Amino acid sequence: MTTLYINEEEITVSAGTSILEACRSHGVDVPYFCYHPELSVAANCRMCLVEVEGWNKPAASCCTPVAEGMKIHTQTEAIKKDRQMVMEYLLINHPLDCPVCDEGGDCRLQDYAVAHGASHSRYVEAKRAATNHDLGPFVTTYMTRCIHCTRCVRFADEVAGTGDMGILNRSDHMSIAGIVEEACESELSGNLADICPVGALLDKPSHDVSRPWEMTHHQSTCTQCPNGCDINIESRGDEVMRIKPVEGSPEPWLCDRGRYVYDAFRSDNRILEPEVRQDGELLQATWDEAFDRAGDLLRGKRVGIIFSPYWSAEGLASIRLMRDAVFPDAKVAFDLHRRDMRPFAFEEGFSMTTQQIEDVEHVVILGSDLRQRLPLLMQRLRKRGNMGKPVSRIGAMNYRTNMSISSDAIIRPRDWPAVIARAMQQVSDLGQTAAGMDTWLAAVPDRHEAGKVLADSLMGETCALLVGEEIRSHVDAAALIHGLDLLMRACGHAEEGNDGRNLIPEGMNAQLLASAFGDIRTSAGDLFASASAGELDALVLIGSDPVGDGLFPSAAKAALSKVPLIQIGAIAGEIGNSAEVQLPAAAYSEVDGTFINMEGRIRVARQPIRSIGQARPLWKVMMRLAQALGADVPAVDMTELRDRMAAFAPELADVWKDKATEEVLVPVARNRDAEALPARLDSSFDLDVVSRYSMYREGMWARASDLLLAAGKLHALNDVIMHPETLAAKGLKEGEHTVRTFLGEHSCHIGVREDVSPGVLFVAKRGVAGDLSDVTAASIVGGQS
Amino acid sequence: MTIPSDPKQVKQICFDRIHIPNLTKLSVARENGAYAFLPTVLKEFDAGKIIDEVKTSGLRGRGGAGFPTGLKWSFVPRNTGKPTYLLCNADEGEPGTFKDRDIMRFDPHLLIEGMIMAGFALDVQDAYIYIRGEFLYETNVMHAAIEEAYEANLLGDNILGSGFSMHLTVHRGAGAYICGEETALIESLEGKPGRPRFKPPFPAVEGFYRCPTVVNNVETLATIPAILEHGGDWHAQIGEPNNTGCKIFSVSGHVNKPGNYEVPMGTSLRTLIEDYCGGLQHGSVPKVIIPGGSSTPWLLAEHYDAPLTYDGMIKAGSMLGSGAIIVMDETADLIAVTRRLAHFYAHESCGQCTPCREGTGWLERIMNRVEAGQGREEDMQVLNEAAAHMAGRTICALADGAAAPILSLLKHFPEEVRARLVENVA
Repeated sequence: MTTLYINEEEITVSAGTSILEACRSHGVDVPYFCYHPELSVAANCRMCLVEVEGWNKPAASCCTPVAEGMKIHTQTEAIKKDRQMVMEYLLINHPLDCPVCDEGGDCRLQDYAVAHGASHSRYVEAKRAATNHDLGPFVTTYMTRCIHCTRCVRFADEVAGTGDMGILNRSDHMSIAGIVEEACESELSGNLADICPVGALLDKPSHDVSRPWEMTHHQSTCTQCPNGCDINIESRGDEVMRIKPVEGSPEPWLCDRGRYVYDAFRSDNRILEPEVRQDGELLQATWDEAFDRAGDLLRGKRVGIIFSPYWSAEGLASIRLMRDAVFPDAKVAFDLHRRDMRPFAFEEGFSMTTQQIEDVEHVVILGSDLRQRLPLLMQRLRKRGNMGKPVSRIGAMNYRTNMSISSDAIIRPRDWPAVIARAMQQVSDLGQTAAGMDTWLAAVPDRHEAGKVLADSLMGETCALLVGEEIRSHVDAAALIHGLDLLMRACGHAEEGNDGRNLIPEGMNAQLLASAFGDIRTSAGDLFASASAGELDALVLIGSDPVGDGLFPSAAKAALSKVPLIQIGAIAGEIGNSAEVQLPAAAYSEVDGTFINMEGRIRVARQPIRSIGQARPLWKVMMRLAQALGADVPAVDMTELRDRMAAFAPELADVWKDKATEEVLVPVARNRDAEALPARLDSSFDLDVVSRYSMYREGMWARASDLLLAAGKLHALNDVIMHPETLAAKGLKEGEHTVRTFLGEHSCHIGVREDVSPGVLFVAKRGVAGDLSDVTAASIVGGQS
Repeated sequence: MTIPSDPKQVKQICFDRIHIPNLTKLSVARENGAYAFLPTVLKEFDAGKIIDEVKTSGLRGRGGAGFPTGLKWSFVPRNTGKPTYLLCNADEGEPGTFKDRDIMRFDPHLLIEGMIMAGFALDVQDAYIYIRGEFLYETNVMHAAIEEAYEANLLGDNILGSGFSMHLTVHRGAGAYICGEETALIESLEGKPGRPRFKPPFPAVEGFYRCPTVVNNVETLATIPAILEHGGDWHAQIGEPNNTGCKIFSVSGHVNKPGNYEVPMGTSLRTLIEDYCGGLQHGSVPKVIIPGGSSTPWLLAEHYDAPLTYDGMIKAGSMLGSGAIIVMDETADLIAVTRRLAHFYAHESCGQCTPCREGTGWLERIMNRVEAGQGREEDMQVLNEAAAHMAGRTICALADGAAAPILSLLKHFPEEVRARLVENVA
């Protein structure tokens, strides 16, 4: 610890802290532009100069470490003059176009000009102008306004990992540029506008639309992925203008998916009022008419319910209450990527916090395109990487991570048992074992070298296992996860306080879903099969689109051609075309509600935006549906609903009773006796099919967002790709081929890429490849095998 | 070496044998004492002894800052598990300076020998000479000399059977003045744009590729062989206390015999200019002397007898810098001179720090107007403030250098500026 004096006041900070950080942590205002708590120090703006007693010149506080007994002054006349001069230098070439600049009113340069600048400039020479750059779909540039703080360059290098921003030229010809036009391909690109302290990099979608002071701020939770970031929704009236991170929070980044999905709130795809199909057409109806029709279709019927995990906890609980009241025998599904419904040894959700994952000795990613799936967790791993901490990976594809992966391997999904067995072998050769491991090992005849990557990572004191969709959607997922559980136990990473088992869930609220629906859940595929087989009379989809998302689009289509569909939700999507009844439910921006993220962190949104149209919170729709179907209403208000919910997750009750959310984590479900041994998979198909999750097109919200769809087109891969050697071994080349699966044959264009594991047919853009999403294996017709 | 062992007799160190023809050839250099003492150093000296000798010698960095060389070497942490690098700063970009160039083109083996000894003291395996891009001829000379040294096992693995190995590589700069600043030089050598790093950490701890690094000027390194051969005490008796040894001065401007002159420290400006350089072209005393390269404050006729030492120049209100003495007699148009220097610094600013990036251009544009007779009274105050608030407020000292001529002009010759203002031009 170091003791020093700031403006005569004695303070103590940890050794090595910069003067600026010492000032910030003690409420002493020191102005700065280039400093950013999450970026490396550049020390170039020179706005943060302070006086240190005994020094012959002012010190840049951001890059000067504190020293014992140092006496610092931040408000002397000399320092004020220095700040005034820095402002004058900065404004030499800065256009004074604040009235038409988006940043105006929310601009560091403008604020400091008032606080620290002179009332006028003495500069009478010509001003410089700079060339603008195309930085992708979300960032617009006015480079003449740039003050060269290089925050964006450091962001691209250190946070996004793309390194595609840079500095050209020197002296006052210096300019910031994208390395290649249109090449800003980071999934975090929207943050560039946030970190720019002036109006040089601006948010393109909200450009020239609104002024900062017109905005109302609504703190909420993003439900676009299981990470559940805190968001600040900015609205003008009831219209969402943009979504930003919560200012001042650590790691203040949002991914482009979470940030730009907002145009879906107002899209044509919203369900704004109750609708009922008449003579083949969906027509507006009153709530009563719609419930009557729903009642006709559902009363006394065998019903399958499929819903999205992205609803608030209250919404999800109300689904359970409604189901118990009117369809006590109904099965539900909420996971469109799980084929194996046996209980997993460790269920969906994280046993570690993101911070813990950043800090552990080793991280292993198993079968996940983490950059698409959890962009901000990927960013934390990148941060680890920058500190020299290892991240290993095994998967079907060399997914782009924008970081250097310390060791990796590409494998076919059918290799997973052999990979895990190889790791077990290595671990057990070193004398580490767990009860049941021998049996598991004995069930697998093969060993795959990729297992070394896994085993090596387990050798340290701590290790975070991030198990992704390739395993979660595996037909033998329970056995694989049991195997991983044994491995983690054998290596001491499955203990209280040191539990590294993290299964990336389908969506938000995984812990609540496990406790509230564990006894009645089934696979969405099974529900569709039952419907197709005539064992169900109707399907209720609540915010779920199994045709556009997930692994069962063909099964879903087949089922929907057999039974009527009641659709409840905010977005109609393509699936709305088959609905008999549509009921509007409010978007996540429009509800009071509780959300649980993958870590088990709880957030309660309390300042919703007014919902548009006739949309009502889901729980009200559910209660009304129960009533319409003749049951007693299970909960008449939010208090009653929450009282009923406490049974599923007592932690929630604590938070509603004003316990600080930082103190509560909802634990992940564990099934200690979930023992499953790998089955021998005999397949007549020689290729494994893996389909990729794309953050720009997965989920109803994303597909209703024009902004994300446009970005998705920029970041598209070929639709179906294979390793060139796999194709060459068949005597085939890139091009149009017929693919045979259990669903039959269909033709598609197959591209090649060495990033894909040999023996894998990789569906880069799900949905576009249609029926290929349903299958796990395929063969190519023609060629030699 | 042939340098007198009596310190009182020493007139030159780096230039002692420079007049000998074909000294760039290893055989000629060896006949004249090059590498003669090296085996003794490699065999009998150790790091501690070498650093002690250099400390005792009082040698201060000849590149401009005058930091004690032995002290700099002693800051290098040992046994970090990382390699230590020795970088020779041969970027020689300071306007007025051309001394290192002569060492390299006439006596490259002196520099190589100095680097081997420094490298040995610092346990360096890879050393680099970062040479000014414009020095093509000197680069070729260095390449040829290094090649001969490798052939003679003076460089490379197991030098002269001592067990010590060091590789030496010449890297050409690309013409940026700022790359003479040691941290910008490191960045440039790493393949990045030459932009100075803030300190701490200092290069001695985290320099080239974030490893311990010593950056020394050519003249500094070229002095090492003499110091080790004759001893630190010997060197400490040359020149003046705290300002020991000899120093090469690059004299240019209105003198009759401009050129490089190596003299013992403490020689006065007058002696150097009158006795060595053949006096001034016009008049008896200079109007302005810039003693240490264009970045140092100006001296006037009243400082003509000041001693050429680090301390003497500070006492006179300037700095010894790299020893580039620019002499201007009464015919000099100081406004034109200042304008040209302002252009130089505006062009060479790396662009990182606000005051320098924006300030150097501002100063240049005002000076353009002033020179053209379009200046106004208020410009003088702006020039003064804008220059004064650049100096010492930036990562490196370029802004200080840019401010120096402006501040000197306004301090010493305000009337000349005033006479050129639009109000006073007919």
